Amino acid sequence: MNRRGFLRLMGATGVAALTASCNRINSAVGPLSSPDDLSRFPEKTEMILLTDRPPQLETPLHYFRQDLTPNEAFFVRWHLEGIPTSVDLRTFRLNVSGHVRQPLQLTVDELRSQFEPVSIVAVNQCSGNSRSFFEPRVPGGQWKHGAVGNAKWTGVPMKSILDRAQVKAGAVDVSFNGLDAPPLPSVSDFVKALSIDHARDGEVMIAYAMNDQPLPMVNGFPLRLVVPGWYGTYWVKALSDVTVLPQAFSNFWTDKAYRIPNAPNGTESPNDLAKDTIPINRFNVRSIFVRPDPDELLHPGVPAEIEGVAFDSGYGIRRVEVSMDGGTTWADARLDPEIEKYSWRRWRAAWTPRNRGQYRLLARATNAVGETQSKQQWNRSGFMWNVIQQVDVKVR
Amino acid sequence: MNPKTTIVVLSLGLAVWVAGCGRPSNIPEESDPGVANARMGSMLDSKADNPIHTIVMPHDEPAFPPGPGRDEFVTACVVCHSPRYITMQPRFSRATWLSEVNKMKDTYGAHISDEQARRITDYLVSINGKAGTGHGPKGTYGE
Repeated sequence: MNRRGFLRLMGATGVAALTASCNRINSAVGPLSSPDDLSRFPEKTEMILLTDRPPQLETPLHYFRQDLTPNEAFFVRWHLEGIPTSVDLRTFRLNVSGHVRQPLQLTVDELRSQFEPVSIVAVNQCSGNSRSFFEPRVPGGQWKHGAVGNAKWTGVPMKSILDRAQVKAGAVDVSFNGLDAPPLPSVSDFVKALSIDHARDGEVMIAYAMNDQPLPMVNGFPLRLVVPGWYGTYWVKALSDVTVLPQAFSNFWTDKAYRIPNAPNGTESPNDLAKDTIPINRFNVRSIFVRPDPDELLHPGVPAEIEGVAFDSGYGIRRVEVSMDGGTTWADARLDPEIEKYSWRRWRAAWTPRNRGQYRLLARATNAVGETQSKQQWNRSGFMWNVIQQVDVKVR
Repeated sequence: MNPKTTIVVLSLGLAVWVAGCGRPSNIPEESDPGVANARMGSMLDSKADNPIHTIVMPHDEPAFPPGPGRDEFVTACVVCHSPRYITMQPRFSRATWLSEVNKMKDTYGAHISDEQARRITDYLVSINGKAGTGHGPKGTYGE
């Protein structure tokens, strides 16, 4: 049963009082006051349910206490109703075609056995992660901070596959299509593209494993594109077709969707929308509180461990500052050792609150090239949220 | 309302898959990816005699109250996506909901007339609308 939907519908039909009592999860991390709907999908644990068809599932925050997000808890986001629910590895092929001399049709087993495997630990984050914190609110998946995860991806560099296919001179873009299909012919198939240079940079890869396991079906079994440091929209799931193009790729999902203002941090004003937009691309820098729990009660004189994760597009997190007094004073958090440059990096801060009361905790990350977080940000699509996060905690 | 949806997972290989979940998620110690890959390879091989992997998606959609426009909503919208696409949104102004409906019609090709779009908008505003006629943010794509 969809509790939130039910309560709101009951409210809409006259039983408004029912909606008043909900304040279970979000009291300390944001403005939302509805409880989460939790749901368990195949091969997944209980996750926060945004939508069920197609599935959009958010990771509960406590999983981010682990450096690698478990596959069963890794966020899920599909666009089209027709998602793959059955894959026969005997007939599945990765097709590499287009502007190449040697088109390929590879089984998953051939990818595993015929190419030198590589592994990378990398954050994948939805473009719309934290959308529900934008003001004014914008339509779209109403994610809190859990449309992100950090995993060890194992597979084959895209460059190795393109080299075997012998890309012809004059290649411009490479497009990536998966097994998902639109519900109507009028809906564009979900296909994304990278420039040929990006696709061949040796870091972009096709993963057949996630944290040393096959991918869950709803996370892209059997193959998923991994684009380190770039937003999840490029990480095409259930990848089946790689097409090398002698011209720039163009489709709805690139020309109309997933675009950001061509302005610092993709920001614009609700009253003056940007005319000039570009495709979303690299992650900006951000930090997410992991502890204290939103509902956790702290006590005067008792040391509390404050903890979070910070990441960027691969330059590397160099500093995280925390404030326990709403931003008046700041102190450096301790950084855990860097795992890999595309991984997130954990930070910790010891804090012993002196007095009872309400405290506002803030965290601000800065990377190796000086990119940091700001206090204000907005865009019409609700992309790239990286406002300095505030967490209100009670000390009793 | 729907009881807790039961999920049926057909894959015989699943038991192998989920066995590794919930473990402490420390970074694997192997610096040589080949070692990790060989270990994973043996795990993959263990399901080689069942190469078809299948899941069954749960059906867990909310019911909607009666009201003007409900029939149009169910016919034109729910055919392509769950009604949760509505219930997860904050309360939006009529302008925002109309923009969303027109996006579905003009961009994604939903088979609805202008009159049906208006009635669907009426329904969305009645179940998840915000008072006033102010201009909320227009919807965009890919969210």
